[in-house]
Amino acid sequence: MRTIALFTCVIVAGFSVGAYAATEVIHQQGRVFSAESVSIKKGDAVTFLNDDSVPHNIMSATKGNEFNLGSQAPGTSTDVTFKEAGDVQVICAIHPRMKMMVKVTD
Amino acid sequence: MPAPGSYRSCIVAGTVASAVLGALGFSTIGYGAAVVGESRKVEITQKAPSGIDALKAQYRRPASIPFPKDNPYTPEKAALGKKLYFDTRLSVTSAQSCASCHSPGFGWGDGLAVGVGHGMAKLGRHSPTIVNAAWSAIFMWDGRLPTLEDQALGPIQSPGEMNMKLDDLMARLASIPEYKPMFEASFPGQGIKAKTLAQAIATYERTVVSERAPFDVWIEGNEKAISEQAKRGFAVFNGKAQCAACHEGWNFTNEGFQDIGLPSSDIGRGEYLPAVIKMQHAFKTPGLREINRRSPFMHDGSLATLEAVIDHYDHGGVDRPSRSDLMRPLGLTAQEKAELVAFLKTLTSDLEPTAVPVLPR
Ligand SMILES: [Cu+2]
Repeated sequence: MRTIALFTCVIVAGFSVGAYAATEVIHQQGRVFSAESVSIKKGDAVTFLNDDSVPHNIMSATKGNEFNLGSQAPGTSTDVTFKEAGDVQVICAIHPRMKMMVKVTD
Repeated sequence: MPAPGSYRSCIVAGTVASAVLGALGFSTIGYGAAVVGESRKVEITQKAPSGIDALKAQYRRPASIPFPKDNPYTPEKAALGKKLYFDTRLSVTSAQSCASCHSPGFGWGDGLAVGVGHGMAKLGRHSPTIVNAAWSAIFMWDGRLPTLEDQALGPIQSPGEMNMKLDDLMARLASIPEYKPMFEASFPGQGIKAKTLAQAIATYERTVVSERAPFDVWIEGNEKAISEQAKRGFAVFNGKAQCAACHEGWNFTNEGFQDIGLPSSDIGRGEYLPAVIKMQHAFKTPGLREINRRSPFMHDGSLATLEAVIDHYDHGGVDRPSRSDLMRPLGLTAQEKAELVAFLKTLTSDLEPTAVPVLPR
């Protein structure tokens, strides 16, 4: 019982922090990103929401802002916080037409 | 993982009010990288096409061929490209042309399990068709080349394939008098160069388009164009079998890279994205046009028939971390499998014969 309560606490905390920090939500329905580019401040997050019918694999190889969400199932939302200023090329490793830019400013 | 279809009936409660079912991810906090937070389960709606007509509309043929701005179509360029495509002198032995492996006689492939290159040595992968290459977003089974122009120069230079150094090729083409005026007409003032060679071949390849198949006639509204069995196969293709999760749209591919669980040691796309688990053993999803002229199938040519391909998907293949999450046992009945085959056969057109061009001397 204690374990369950603690677990709930952790995920609720995680959720509220994520919801507070994420100012931009990028959707993936129809195998396209909902925006070609978004601008955010350094330290802010972008929420990648897979509202599509298939898994996606969102990632970036841009130096200083590398990340890889791995296979993100439909109905999953993940926040990514960008630490370095600059243009970050975000792709889906699975679908080559899915490309977008996250412009991170100081 | 629930079937994607089950998301379709979900009601959106909004992202903010979404149900938090569990933390799936993990935080990766490291120097010099973006920070990935927890993943959350969110209720979503799918804009699934409502009804068969909306679904069919997604498969309508495009009206024209897309050509890139930096290499627009001209008839001169396409005619030159066709001669180059069929010219065996593009290989070091003067024995192999592009058409040797991508032959109009075999649905623009070679009918072999894996290609045959320089010295008749077998290559590692099946020669892909060039049909509808104009619509491709990325090239080669492993996606290593970004444009059709780059692709055209790849096999020419590859030691295992045509094994021809570009400098040597330019000298050889320059020594064939009838090529010079053709290059001049296609690329005024530019001459015979790797760039113009690639642009001409790519332009010709973009004109190789699958013709109207019975499926297209059905899509356009003629209910008699395909059998009732094939129509049921189309429903299975888009429904229970989930083929359309990757083989989508009029050319039946979204160009995605997936490990479909074939027992091959070839890592495919993984060579270029070594840190991405799902790219290990992943290959580009091929289109399905002219499919029953293109056996054997798969990137390694390991499956001889459409029936064997469908059995593979029904089974789900090798269960390994890289395998696509879309791959899982499907539980198709013998009837559904037969319906799928019947449907796939409606994607083959009555391709007109392609005349081999008279080559410059
Ligand atoms: Cu994707």
